[in-house]
Amino acid sequence: MSTDATVATVGAAHRRTGEMFRRLLPALPFALVLIIWTGSWAIFHPNKATLPPVTDVIAAVWTRAADGELLRHILASLWRLFLGATVGVSTGILCGFVAGLYRGVSEFLNPLVVFFNAISGIVWLPLMIGWLGIGTALAVFLIWNTVFFIVFQNTVLGVQLVPEVYEQGVQSLGGNRLETIRSVILPGALPYILTGIRSGLGFGWRALIAAELVGTPDGLGQMIFAAADYHRSDIIIAGCLIIGTIAIFMDRWLLLPIERRTVERWGLLAVATEENP
Amino acid sequence: MSTLSAPVAPFGQAGSGLALAWRGLRDLRILLPFALLVVIWWAIKAGSDISDSLLVSPLQAWQAFVHLTRHGVLAEYASTSLTVIGIATCISMLVGVPIGFAVGTNRYAARALEGFLRFLQSVSGIAWLPLAIIWFGFSHLTTLVIVIYSLIVPVIFNTMVGVRAIPENYSLALRSLGAGRLRLATDVYLPGALPSIVVGLRLGMGYGWRALIAAEMLVRQGGLGDLIFGARTFGQIDRIIVGMIAIGALYIIIDRLIVQPIENITVARWGLLRK
Repeated sequence: MSTDATVATVGAAHRRTGEMFRRLLPALPFALVLIIWTGSWAIFHPNKATLPPVTDVIAAVWTRAADGELLRHILASLWRLFLGATVGVSTGILCGFVAGLYRGVSEFLNPLVVFFNAISGIVWLPLMIGWLGIGTALAVFLIWNTVFFIVFQNTVLGVQLVPEVYEQGVQSLGGNRLETIRSVILPGALPYILTGIRSGLGFGWRALIAAELVGTPDGLGQMIFAAADYHRSDIIIAGCLIIGTIAIFMDRWLLLPIERRTVERWGLLAVATEENP
Repeated sequence: MSTLSAPVAPFGQAGSGLALAWRGLRDLRILLPFALLVVIWWAIKAGSDISDSLLVSPLQAWQAFVHLTRHGVLAEYASTSLTVIGIATCISMLVGVPIGFAVGTNRYAARALEGFLRFLQSVSGIAWLPLAIIWFGFSHLTTLVIVIYSLIVPVIFNTMVGVRAIPENYSLALRSLGAGRLRLATDVYLPGALPSIVVGLRLGMGYGWRALIAAEMLVRQGGLGDLIFGARTFGQIDRIIVGMIAIGALYIIIDRLIVQPIENITVARWGLLRK
């Protein structure tokens, strides 16, 4: 992939420019969008409420970052995600282990899991506004609800796919049930659990933004939804870019490395790590 | 006891259509946990004095279901949602798959667009909703745009990944036999990438369906999201619960009875490239 036939034959200097071109390629679409955006703005001069110039978006980020408002919204969102994900991941793994170890339990629960997974997240919003009111509790519930089922299903899958031979191996060496779980099933299921956490957090972040649009007094979702009332599309676009950046950071720099390392360390089950976020 | 099972029934009926006795028995077992849930729900409602504006009894929910069905309200709201997701799916496949082919077959384009697509996928569709409302107003178009956005990015991304996973020898073999680009697309890229495309479609529909419900809640122009969010305003918990069950049942039907079988067929037929 990296050595192009034409590049290889030419000198080292050319190879270096080729390498740089290859490195910069991912930035190209972003640059193109910026150019088209700026260009079309300069030509058509649309209403600022419809499409703000790039500079307005940067200014919107800057002023909000300067007075600390942006940070407050980001922290509010991240705090909710942290709370919801912590509860969701821990309950998901715990219940997943119980269901995975006892086939009868998982078979009995499966229809419920399929159904409640289908309505996980934002669908609960109208009902839960009545129960929990508007605020962090509501958002945390929706994130928990989203993360739980994905982590649960992956944990069950991971636990069930651990080959029985390994369990028997530990048992024949005198290991009891708890030791089997700790030294065989946990590491065996870990790659699946982490894949579940990763995709769960992806869905959880989406659910959070949706929940914040109506269900909380602050947070990034509320920031962009409130901006719509004043037709401040510069704030909306800035908010969307920040939402995406945070999601990318979380996935690529936090969750993916953890997942890769785990798969390398315990990935004897060769979990299919798709190239897919 | 049959209260909750009724809206879920479509998922049971599929089996009995096959007229296999053991299938029917298995269907009944699927309903058992739901029956238990309804019993618990009923016990909570009967045992405590929760007001109707917080939780209704299963019987009240059933009555609301009968009422909404008889007046065609449920069908109308559901058909609005299904139409949007249907149109969005068609457009995403018709536009997304060719883009995925074009990007996937060109190594530079693939490298250039991978990060961009990943970024787009990270900005959830629903985050663009405020901007879409400013651009297109409170209309079906707004909902449709949001759902297409949520759906098309995973389709393009997975098509691209699928095409790139095809060993180059296949397309080289066809080209050496004189095949054109179109022939290459239909005979190599499409079957080779299909398992991956279907994975993308399924993921996209998961994102898209949720984005649809959330968008309908805010756009308020019909659809099941509008039904449950509108019922919130009047404190009609019975309607909210019926709407939630309908949303879950429809998603299960779409996912389990339509998309998953397609996935199974493609994997069985062309799945050699599946990791």
